[in-house]
Amino acid sequence: MINNVLSNLFSKPATRDFPAKMREIAENVRGSVEFNTENCVYCGACALKCPANAIEVDRPAKKVTFDLYKCVACACCAEACRKGCIQMAKQYAHPSYRKMDVVFQGEPLLTDANGDS
Amino acid sequence: MSNRTVIPFGPQHPVLPEPIQLKLELQDETVVSAIPHIGYVHRGIEKAAERMEYTQNVFLVERVCGICSFIHALCYCQAIEQLQNIEASPRAKYLRVIWSELHRLHSHHLWLGLFADAFGYESLFMQFWRNREMLMDIFDKTAGSRVIISTCAIGGTRRDISDVHLQEILDTLDEVEKQLDKTLPVILNDYTVKKRTVGIGKITREQALELGAAGPVLRANGVAQDMRQLGYAAYGELGFEPVTENDGDCYARAKVRARECYQSVELVRKAIRQLPDGEILTKPKGRPKGQVISRVEQPRGELLYFLSADGTNRLDRLRIRTPTFANVPPLVAMLPGCELADVPVIVLSIDPCISCTER
Repeated sequence: MINNVLSNLFSKPATRDFPAKMREIAENVRGSVEFNTENCVYCGACALKCPANAIEVDRPAKKVTFDLYKCVACACCAEACRKGCIQMAKQYAHPSYRKMDVVFQGEPLLTDANGDS
Repeated sequence: MSNRTVIPFGPQHPVLPEPIQLKLELQDETVVSAIPHIGYVHRGIEKAAERMEYTQNVFLVERVCGICSFIHALCYCQAIEQLQNIEASPRAKYLRVIWSELHRLHSHHLWLGLFADAFGYESLFMQFWRNREMLMDIFDKTAGSRVIISTCAIGGTRRDISDVHLQEILDTLDEVEKQLDKTLPVILNDYTVKKRTVGIGKITREQALELGAAGPVLRANGVAQDMRQLGYAAYGELGFEPVTENDGDCYARAKVRARECYQSVELVRKAIRQLPDGEILTKPKGRPKGQVISRVEQPRGELLYFLSADGTNRLDRLRIRTPTFANVPPLVAMLPGCELADVPVIVLSIDPCISCTER
């Protein structure tokens, strides 16, 4: 009993000082999908493999539309991409106020569901 | 029939993490009968599985249950492998055992915590869940995600575990075992806990067999039935013996799960010791055709998948039978005769996973 009291008095708390001290993110974590359209050939392999149908590839328009809210972070697209355009970022997707589709066309653009920037 | 009242227990109740309703017919404070109502979290996963490609379904079936996601994927992948006549490589089989047992371990921790919470022992609940965090961190490091780990694939596993991580798992398991040595005696020996669990929610061995109980509910009645005895994945090479108790009450069910925690720790250690080198993924050829039944052991009991495929890239039918569904009739048999205050403990003692049951 006394041992428990003393060890509880002098031991560190089990919790973390959250905003000041963040949890370390693991090395191989499947955080969120990151597109890099520079090398993309718009083959659509990622869209075919995606179990959540979160990716749409428009080959003639050279456009990749990625629905962040459908994504289940399974990393299938990253495995399917032969050009290495898709990586799993070592950070989790941030919360946001609006549902946004991320459109990649040359330079990445952000639009909401209505097509407004 | 006077003085009888019907009290709805659930679907929202402090002890229930998921919605199930039991209509309890009471004579004063004693339960006379219970009628279960399910259907609050039906998500249509079986139908969705018919519309998606069979390779994509691996990620769908994982979402049947968050707590044992890997085991659902394993059951599905084994069924498809059986249809395509392929076998996972030895290393993949051992990796599957490691992840399955870690899932069982964290599920039992979760349950032990919730069980403690059900009879109002909140600090014990936190102790178990703190312990469980260490296991969740293993998933984060080895699989890249804490809950839905998505590492099982048709033909093997998608990820390998490096030697550094294997050592980390062993170190974590030592720590988990040390903490279990401290916390489990409270569940098993504490006077108050025993008062709330010993002799409560008792069913006989015959009742358990007749009503089709599965998993720890059945094993707490002395029936040594565990799907791991089938020797799927690498269980056949690990010398597995099911844990059994004989009393058939809430205490016996808690004891089975407590002992299974140690058993899982041992199985992971053994699997890591015997882990062979080699490839982790066998590339599947062709498309699945035919019908197959696949069975594995979930933390809650036997999980059964029935698949019917016609050689296209979509399945004809996927049928999932989860252990909680099998354990609802025994639950209804446990309740008559008990006090109203014991109902939460009894309901939790079958480790209900309603999302699993309703899919």
